[in-house]
Amino acid sequence: MGWNLTGLKTLFMKEVRRFSTVWKQTVLSPLITTSLYFLVFGVALGSRLKTIDGVPYIEFVVPGLIMLSMITNAFLNTASSLFQSKINGTLLDVLIAPLGATEVVLAYVGAAMLRAFVVGGLVFLVAVAFTGFHMAHPGWALLFAVAVSASFALLGILAAMWAEKYDHLSIVPNFVLTPLTFLGGVFYSIDMLPAPWDTVSRLNPVLYMVNGLRYGLLGSSDVDVLWSAATLCALLAVLAATTWYAVHTGYNIRD
Amino acid sequence: MTASPTPRDPCPLRLDGVVKRFGDFTAVRDVTLTIDPGEIFALLGPNGAGKTTLIRCVAGLARQSVGAISVFGFDTVTEFRQTRRLLGLVPQELNFDPFFTPHQSLMIQMGLMGVTPDAAWADQLLETFALTDHRDAYTRHLSGGMKRRLLVAKALVHRPRLLFLDEPTAGVDVELRKDLWAEVRRLREQGTTIILTTHYLEEAEELADRIGVIHKGRLLLVEERDALMHSRRRPGQALLDLAAPLDQLPEGLPPGAELRRGGRQLCSPWSDPEELERTLRRVREVARIIDLQVERTRLEDIFVELIAEAEQR
Ligand SMILES: Nc1ncnc2c1ncn2[C@@H]1O[C@H](COP(=O)(O)OP(=O)(O)OP(=O)(O)O)[C@@H](O)[C@H]1O
Ligand SMILES: [Mg+2]
Repeated sequence: MGWNLTGLKTLFMKEVRRFSTVWKQTVLSPLITTSLYFLVFGVALGSRLKTIDGVPYIEFVVPGLIMLSMITNAFLNTASSLFQSKINGTLLDVLIAPLGATEVVLAYVGAAMLRAFVVGGLVFLVAVAFTGFHMAHPGWALLFAVAVSASFALLGILAAMWAEKYDHLSIVPNFVLTPLTFLGGVFYSIDMLPAPWDTVSRLNPVLYMVNGLRYGLLGSSDVDVLWSAATLCALLAVLAATTWYAVHTGYNIRD
Repeated sequence: MTASPTPRDPCPLRLDGVVKRFGDFTAVRDVTLTIDPGEIFALLGPNGAGKTTLIRCVAGLARQSVGAISVFGFDTVTEFRQTRRLLGLVPQELNFDPFFTPHQSLMIQMGLMGVTPDAAWADQLLETFALTDHRDAYTRHLSGGMKRRLLVAKALVHRPRLLFLDEPTAGVDVELRKDLWAEVRRLREQGTTIILTTHYLEEAEELADRIGVIHKGRLLLVEERDALMHSRRRPGQALLDLAAPLDQLPEGLPPGAELRRGGRQLCSPWSDPEELERTLRRVREVARIIDLQVERTRLEDIFVELIAEAEQR
């Protein structure tokens, strides 16, 4: 018996419906948050800061803010949905269905990516209103947006499977995502950092994500775009394999 | 894919030396069991006996530590797509998704099971389980019994050939319990094989073709209901209400007979119908009988006895 495509489609739609019915919380609130970032860092402070690599500061922060919202939304969508259904027992409906790990992972990741693209797209539109339209290399921009949202959706699945209580789940955004994104060159160029921090920053995967998208949108980047893409694709492959295996063996979700 | 896979073997369920451990604790110990096509099998046991754990292993919610399980000839581990498509599960724990209405829940479950969602079939299921009035309600606003009926409906969306009912009547009122059992019988008539657990033993006695008793993870016994009731049968009791009180027992009653309620009631054991007839004749010689109740051995009595025996071993 082959893949359960009806099941995959149903699970995907179910996850989409979950975030779209509470769109005020899932779509509107991140939009407001990032608009505030634009106002504070871009408009208020940006006028006092000089340009970076010839780009006005308010434009410089746009790719980072888009990435920040995509990362958070992709992660939160899979993590909160899966964790909630694990705790309230509704995951059973999925676990007793004839769905293989491939279908389950694709459905969850697909829905999370959709949310990330909706929010990221809206943030981009807000940015266009503030800074005008910039899209230097659309192909690269799309590639980075896809790789990043998929990676963090996968990470969300792993976090939800691993977590036993709500506290566990918040460890990842609080102690991993926030520091990595703030230190990942969203608000500054790593060339502005003194040694050894410019080198240390290169170990942070978020740096490659932000700079990849910055290259796609603005045409400039702190790091080589090919190198960024390769790093990200490798990260995505590792996360995909790990998540598939965890779902396949039912780690922490089947006894 | 809409059609369910064709069984490779007519046997709905075969458990072969199944052991399930949780760390050092063994919840299911070496269970071997074959279920017959089209039967209603009652799996009985005290709390913590391992009933749910065994069912979870079959449904793929847990994986046995040792042994093999096959559903219609398909292995539950390597051929889970076939086995899960063929079986339905009504879980013991209520679970419900606050986001969706009963109708939506059924449509979603159909899709997950790999069946093209069919709104008319979902409506028909709601009708069967008296949920039509709550078709579009928030699931969290349903009462406990309604939620349980929704779980049963959900387990049937893909027309499973093997159905597990893990305490489906817990918290369901008497009338709806009767309806539910009528539905179970109807499913059986349509060819569905049913395995149920319940702590209401009179239900099991009434419904089950065969009974299995599990205790501390070990299957103590598997027998035809009638054979079990017969072989384990104890003397019954006849309760005779008399028009006027008797001072003393009539002659020639079986040992153990006694007068109660100031001589207005006579209680006498009987082990075969002839003995009961003789008792009635003796009593009628000295008194007028105004009411008669005959108590037979109940499954509950046999169950209690079996568990007590197992505890002593
Ligand atoms: N995930 C688990 N981890 C550890 N122990 C477990 C787990 N699930 C069940 N058990 C233990 O296995 C034993 C059997 O539990 P099970 O739920 O199968 O009993 P049951 O026969 O269904 O009981 P009940 O009639 O109360 O529903 C119990 O002692 C229980 O504590
Ligand atoms: Mg149980």
